Amino acid sequence: MAQLKIGVYVCNCGTNIAHTVDADSIVETVWKIPDVTIARSYRYMCSNPGQEMIINDIQGLELDRVVVAACSPRMHERTFRNACKSGGINPYLFEMANIREQCSWVHSADRLSATAKALALTKAAISRVRCHEPLDPLTAEMCPSTLVLGAGIAGMTAALELALAGHPVCLVEKTDRLGGNLARLDLTAPYLYSARDVLQERMVRIRQTENISVLLNSQLKSLTGFIGNFTATIANGNPSADEKVLHVGNVVVATGYKEFDAARITHYGYGKLPDVITSFEFERMLRTGRILTKAGKEPRYAAIIHCVGSRNKEFHGYCSRVCCMTALKYAQEIKGAIPECYVSDLYIDMHAFGKGCEDFYKKSSEVKTLFLMYGKNERPVIRKAEPGDDCEMLIEIDEKLSGERIEIPADLVILMVGMEAREDSGEVARLVNISQDKDGWFMESHPKLDPVATTTEGIYIAGTCVAPKDIPDSVAQARAAAGRILGRIAKGKIEIDGVFAEVNEDRCSGCRMCNELCPYSAIEFDETKKRSHVIAAACKACGCCVAACPSGAIKGRHFTDQQIYAQIEGVLA
Amino acid sequence: MSYEPKIVGFLCNWCSYTGADLAGTSRIQYPPSIRIIRVMCSARIDPTFVIDALAQGADGVLICGCHPGDCHYSEGNYKAMRRFPLLKKLLRSYGVEEERVRQTWVSASEGQRFADVVTDMTERVRALGPSRIHRNLLADVRER
Repeated sequence: MAQLKIGVYVCNCGTNIAHTVDADSIVETVWKIPDVTIARSYRYMCSNPGQEMIINDIQGLELDRVVVAACSPRMHERTFRNACKSGGINPYLFEMANIREQCSWVHSADRLSATAKALALTKAAISRVRCHEPLDPLTAEMCPSTLVLGAGIAGMTAALELALAGHPVCLVEKTDRLGGNLARLDLTAPYLYSARDVLQERMVRIRQTENISVLLNSQLKSLTGFIGNFTATIANGNPSADEKVLHVGNVVVATGYKEFDAARITHYGYGKLPDVITSFEFERMLRTGRILTKAGKEPRYAAIIHCVGSRNKEFHGYCSRVCCMTALKYAQEIKGAIPECYVSDLYIDMHAFGKGCEDFYKKSSEVKTLFLMYGKNERPVIRKAEPGDDCEMLIEIDEKLSGERIEIPADLVILMVGMEAREDSGEVARLVNISQDKDGWFMESHPKLDPVATTTEGIYIAGTCVAPKDIPDSVAQARAAAGRILGRIAKGKIEIDGVFAEVNEDRCSGCRMCNELCPYSAIEFDETKKRSHVIAAACKACGCCVAACPSGAIKGRHFTDQQIYAQIEGVLA
Repeated sequence: MSYEPKIVGFLCNWCSYTGADLAGTSRIQYPPSIRIIRVMCSARIDPTFVIDALAQGADGVLICGCHPGDCHYSEGNYKAMRRFPLLKKLLRSYGVEEERVRQTWVSASEGQRFADVVTDMTERVRALGPSRIHRNLLADVRER
């Protein structure tokens, strides 16, 4: 192999790596490896001075390979590839060693072993990078149409944003109307805007916008292709109706949430005690304008119970975020409608973060809501009152602040049901090829830096299908997703990663085993040549065919056999 | 000093490698025995990679991919799953103990599970002691 000039950079990541891994000793050791022209350690390789260091070395020392030992490549591979490009070498002549997420952070107590492992990973990256080849991206056309799944506040907002920028949008909704869960609400906390007004504005504009086509009672059946060139099949609920086939460049998934089923908590008697209702049922009551018990009387005692299904090991561990403020809204609304009604608010912790929320909490205290705190692993018990009790129900609670077990009267109990992932979220995730977290929520490409993109290019997520959130956050995400898509459309063409499989025709025996294996039908068989070949733009580089080819005729670019063997040798050296 | 085995882990990029990263961001501690090699999909793991790793001195090999039904490439993990028993059969004939090579599924949200898998496997391999596989195996593999 020709002589190479490799630059190796070991990041301290402040103290994140340096605290556990002796970066300087790695520099010292790798510098002795043949072809390593320069080895340095630095506080933050990803910072501007860090990247400039690489760029200057590429130019000054004529480096032709770069290794950075730092965080996960999922974090900064792109950053350093771009630095290589700026320095004047092909971005694929770079390799990263993950010595933070997969080393310093997980072996914090053992500096010696962590350093030895970090060295092994760095050596593996050096061996691998020797085998790297320059790769060039392909370009493909970007279809400017977008498919939006779900017509709640997030989906409608994303659709409008894209359509008003002049691009066609198809808005697909499973039910028979627009609005999603928001259409079931009355007023919204903390500013008490009417949900109906908020939605009306969106719906009117959607109707007035020509390039949005709305498909109600419809669902995505299949999605094939790749960013810029997806083919979506939409099925109508009516089995006799034809399936619609759409050509779209991007997809926004905004399929929302469903509420927790209160009947799952038997202590609360939901479904058995007529005046124990969910927050959604109470919203419906508010929209009709009268707060009444099932018997048609105004309640004299109302109780609101927080965290129904949320923040609890048995059901969902997470906080549903909107229920605390909604509960406070109920307290104010009940007091407004029936001033003599006693309102008790049974909570675990009051989560009043966000704009205007702390003031809203204060206002609820001022209207004389009785706040009672219960423990996270306990639960108030509701039972029917005896005839002499002067109320419909009694709630027993171990009140934490007073330390006493108390009993409070109630004629109406409102359960603040949390949000959960929809039953069909797994199916949607599979159709558009994105991941779900342990609770069923769709996963972001990066939770902080790339919160609306997913690991599949061209598929974006917004609103409460990602995690519980309020209206402003859903709207912000929807606009962010639309913004990302507009950015891609503005570029006109899309670049497709230079990483894909290719067939060496001289070695291909024409057995066609790979044709069947490819999940994207990206391998075609040339009948005249009797050889298979890969359609690069359709290949997603999984490498399945590469491992399966009995003749070893398929090369998985950037994950070649030689590159992986070199890495194996490196980690074990 | 107690014997620390060397385990090579082949992890798919989308689920397991991300799960391993999550173990890191969550600061979940596990033994430093594992050396991770990233592949895009568990279906890319050529059985010869596993044999090569053993021949090069790995005491164990761990293969991790997305859970069945959850593959980023829709069905790559099923292909990996089907290949595995054949590989195990071959390894048995070479005298490789059952517990040195393991295939399991770790999702992107299972940082804790990844740490548990590594911890468990390290203990099992530690109990077996250093691998006795002859280095001549290497020649056989690289012939291909």
